[in-house]
Amino acid sequence: VGRPACLCRVTLETHAEQQQAKRGEKRARMACATLSPGPLTLAAAPKEGHSHGASERGFYPYDYNGGTTLAVAGANFAIVAGDTRMSSGYNIKSRNVSKLFKLSPNTVLATAGFRGDITTLHKLLRAKATEYQQKHGEPIKVHAVAQMLANTLYGRRFFPYFTWNILAGLDEKGIGCIYSYDPVGNYERVRVNVTGSGESLIQPLLDNQFERQHQQGAPRPSPLCVDLSQEDTVELVKDAFTSAGERDIRTGDSFEVCVITSQGGVKIETYPLNID
Amino acid sequence: MSSIMQYNGAAIIAMVGKDCVAIASDKRFGIRNQTVGCEMKKVFQMNDKVLVGLTGLASDMQTLEQKFRFKNNLYRLREEREMSVTAFSNMVSSLLYESRFGPYFVEPVVAGLTEDGKPYLCGMDLLGAPVLTDDFMLAGDCPEAMFGLCESLYQPNLEPDDLFEVLAQCLLSGVDRDCLSGWGCVVHVLTPQGLTTRHLKGRMD
Repeated sequence: VGRPACLCRVTLETHAEQQQAKRGEKRARMACATLSPGPLTLAAAPKEGHSHGASERGFYPYDYNGGTTLAVAGANFAIVAGDTRMSSGYNIKSRNVSKLFKLSPNTVLATAGFRGDITTLHKLLRAKATEYQQKHGEPIKVHAVAQMLANTLYGRRFFPYFTWNILAGLDEKGIGCIYSYDPVGNYERVRVNVTGSGESLIQPLLDNQFERQHQQGAPRPSPLCVDLSQEDTVELVKDAFTSAGERDIRTGDSFEVCVITSQGGVKIETYPLNID
Repeated sequence: MSSIMQYNGAAIIAMVGKDCVAIASDKRFGIRNQTVGCEMKKVFQMNDKVLVGLTGLASDMQTLEQKFRFKNNLYRLREEREMSVTAFSNMVSSLLYESRFGPYFVEPVVAGLTEDGKPYLCGMDLLGAPVLTDDFMLAGDCPEAMFGLCESLYQPNLEPDDLFEVLAQCLLSGVDRDCLSGWGCVVHVLTPQGLTTRHLKGRMD
């Protein structure tokens, strides 16, 4: 299948590097307009050899639509949350776009990144999950979805889905389980995970409150799940989002908290955030 | 892509409590990825009511500390009184702006108590643009990590001991996610009664 030539130099960049690349590209455009082209530090570079005039950027297949997603695994519940803002550059495209996607009666996928790839990925997974249900006569289990998602992502290793996924559900013993992914499908079962634009803001808060490494004498949680109650965990998740919404420009408007329990199934509640 | 401000590594948070301020810094001194020292002083006391923390290029941090002391002493000799925290922070701002086209690569945080005993916090960028806040101010290499923690854990009107706890947790957990800061922290709590300094051990890496 033909790949655009500019993709030969696509490397998966973190959000920070992508922002750097965007700024670098703006500088490069201005440099091209005034002087001879300086060194360009981004993936899809304009054509080499431009000596004057405004240079036109080649087609760049990705965009970064922002947002933060967070998931916590509890002893008998799993919580996954995501904000509902969709942005592009410094603009807000929508205030009400959900990042949560229910794949089976007790599995929810939260995805941040490029909206186009998020939509396609969810569509593909829904098709695969439905096919599994029809073939096997039962809904697909979390660990199987986890592997399926990893394989789907790695199938596009050389033109990745620009997505940061977190899969949440209940394992066979009824303990909450969270799988966190990178854009090309590396995954790991974790206890707590945050991803997206508010990642750097929220991660240390989770370290402080769940790992408690700097609290003398505080108990350390077990490897598979946190030791807080469901209500406390929901409160902590709400605080984390409120704080991220204050300081991260791409997180805001509102956020959805989805609680997965064996009795209650999947319940989603929405809370407001700053709209600035 | 490394910036000159991240050459040495530092993290400073200052917070306002009930009639008190606290300022904390990490202790790492590194050169790019190599850690060279673990006891570096980044917060300096200018007088009974003024503390200043400096992040950025270590060389400029130390030079500016000497310049602040020089100006502080000269003020004391001429005026025969101590410099107030507002005067000090304006002095810092002017000093940095004097080098507008060849700046000192530091981001200072000035914390202190005004003449009325009210807490005062002022943060600046490397050109001296001041920002006054009444909750917290931070500077360093891992601002997002520290912002997330401070926004969540801070509450107004904390007593000095509680303020110390909150500030220590924010700084220690914040620098854990940053390679360029860490190796323990120092927390100074300034009340009208005096200054209390505590050294804390965190992740030593």
